[in-house]
Amino acid sequence: MDPQILVQYGPMLLRGFGLTILCWLLGTVLGMALGLVIALAQRYGPKPLRWLLQVYVEVIRGTPFLVQLFVLYYGGPMIGLRLDALPAGILGLTLYGSPYFAEIFRSGFRGVAAGQIEAARAIGMSEPAIVRRILLPLGLVSALPALVNFSIILTKETVILSIITVPELMYQVQRMSTETFRFLEANLVLALFFWGLVETISRFGRRIEAGVTRHLTERP
Amino acid sequence: MFSLTAFLDGFGPLIMAARFTLLISVLGIGLGLVIGALICAAQLSPYPALRRFAAVWVSFLRGVPLLVQLLLVYYLLPVVGIDVPAMVAAVTTVGICASAYISEIWRGAIGALPPGQAESAAAIGMSPPDVWTRVILPQAIGLSLPALVNELILLVKASSLVSVVGILEITRSSQALAATTYRPLEAYVAAACVYLAINLCLAGLGRYLEHRMAI
Amino acid sequence: MVAASSVEIRAVDKFYGPFHALRGIDLSIPPGKVTCLIGPSGSGKSTLLRCINFLEPYDAGEIRIDGQLIGYRSPGGARMPARELRAMRRSIGMVFQQFNLWPHMTALGNVAEGLQRVRGLARAEAEARATEALAKVGLGDRMSNHPSRLSGGQQQRVAIARAIAMEPKLMLFDEPTSALDPELVGEVLAVMKALASEGMTMVVVTHEMGFAAHVADRVAFMEKGELVAVDAPGRILHQPQDARIQAFLRTYHERNSF
Repeated sequence: MDPQILVQYGPMLLRGFGLTILCWLLGTVLGMALGLVIALAQRYGPKPLRWLLQVYVEVIRGTPFLVQLFVLYYGGPMIGLRLDALPAGILGLTLYGSPYFAEIFRSGFRGVAAGQIEAARAIGMSEPAIVRRILLPLGLVSALPALVNFSIILTKETVILSIITVPELMYQVQRMSTETFRFLEANLVLALFFWGLVETISRFGRRIEAGVTRHLTERP
Repeated sequence: MFSLTAFLDGFGPLIMAARFTLLISVLGIGLGLVIGALICAAQLSPYPALRRFAAVWVSFLRGVPLLVQLLLVYYLLPVVGIDVPAMVAAVTTVGICASAYISEIWRGAIGALPPGQAESAAAIGMSPPDVWTRVILPQAIGLSLPALVNELILLVKASSLVSVVGILEITRSSQALAATTYRPLEAYVAAACVYLAINLCLAGLGRYLEHRMAI
Repeated sequence: MVAASSVEIRAVDKFYGPFHALRGIDLSIPPGKVTCLIGPSGSGKSTLLRCINFLEPYDAGEIRIDGQLIGYRSPGGARMPARELRAMRRSIGMVFQQFNLWPHMTALGNVAEGLQRVRGLARAEAEARATEALAKVGLGDRMSNHPSRLSGGQQQRVAIARAIAMEPKLMLFDEPTSALDPELVGEVLAVMKALASEGMTMVVVTHEMGFAAHVADRVAFMEKGELVAVDAPGRILHQPQDARIQAFLRTYHERNSF
């Protein structure tokens, strides 16, 4: 690959990368927050709310991310939701990730041994205190590997944002290749870049898990 | 505002387009099953070179977004001189990408089998190929069925990406529909409904299989 | 001497769907005494114990602790509000078969948690009292260990400390040594014995006949949801009148003598 091209397009690509990271971080954090709220609401909320949330989860998980973005970005204006590409992308990523995160949290909560919660009840702890001190900490740790896993999946989903013109990395790479006609090299470098990114985050994630779950494994 | 007529009218063309979505998904998973089996075998083989290759295969295909893979293949094929219809290229890419996930599903299923299974077969003097085909594989395939149905659901959703290489599956059709009717909301919501219908059926199939497996 | 509660169980029935788990149980737990519940598995001993602090609801009859009905506003009436139930539970300590220590807290943390969250003590005071409770069960030097670093017997002793730190007037033990390796059982029984000698009302579901014989003031035998007999340990364990008790003790002796 011609080094001159890199120099010329470097800043553009860097901005794209920055936007990729921004979208990923916001989408992951907001998606996790929303997912946690959904998971708690599904556990403690009134029946109609739980039913409604289950419908939401099924719809989001049953439809492609791209179509969801189209509905938000292109269909939104027709019901008064006029968003720019970037906010639409972040909103889309948040909404897309939330049911997966919610299911992960629910699984984590179910994984907390009933005995732990019983012991707290036997002492006379109130439900909110039980959620705060026992269910959430243990549930979150139990859910950690799956949370990390799905966050990694979300990094890959960010490229789909380019289709609704969010100027993240893939969008910039496409722009660059239409100007330089080097489609193959550009996409190859993009592929290698994501490969490296995903591998690195995976390894980092595994190390965090090992550290946090230290207390929860039996002494060998 | 939302127009119910535009919404319902959209289903006609979209259901026609769904044939391509299903074709891509089914062919894709078929290809993925075959290649996935080979990769899985490579990962479990005693040859370090094969294991290394398989590990890199899985790592690359799971690390690169499918959209990037699709475009890579789209631009790569003319350069290499292969001239195939977009459909073939798309199915091949989807299938190869799926093979990485499927190989991991099978690795997990085989790993989940108690070692006693293979041991008891070996103890009565069964040959290694027979142990594989008569004891390990049937059970592993059974164990992996729910995960494979899940993978199929993922492929149906992933097939929406082949719209960028011009194939007239559901998503591409809905874009065309939006352009001609000037009603994007109805078109895309209709598309979402078609996908949802397909995936709910598949999810039902998955639950049925899990129920059967639990016996 | 600790303040001790009495428990009155009158005509208690419990159903799991069609299964009649407790059949018309009448039992008095006198204050300051140790009552052991023994019997084959599935007899309803643990179920009855868990009804006493309403971890399991009972369907008919009354359970009164110091005269106060638990679980319901009135016999056969509406359920008791959660806040009142919690208030009653503060004076009842429970020790579980699986210890149920919270793995993300140290031993000290486990014991202090109830004092802080439920009794509302400040952290320093909670930890001071927790330290005392841990010293009492012989684990003063293991306070900063997480449960994963403690043996089963040590974990169960922490669980006991967690319960007694709340200054209960009634202690419920649900097969406290059943999940322990045999050589660790003794240390837990020793702690329970010390507790008994302080005059705590204790209800213990156990298979440890030695404990029942030497420490219990009364032994109750249950089978298939029924209370078959309640008497002094000497009479139940050594001169049982009922054929069912005889059969149970016979299989017990077969398995445990060598």
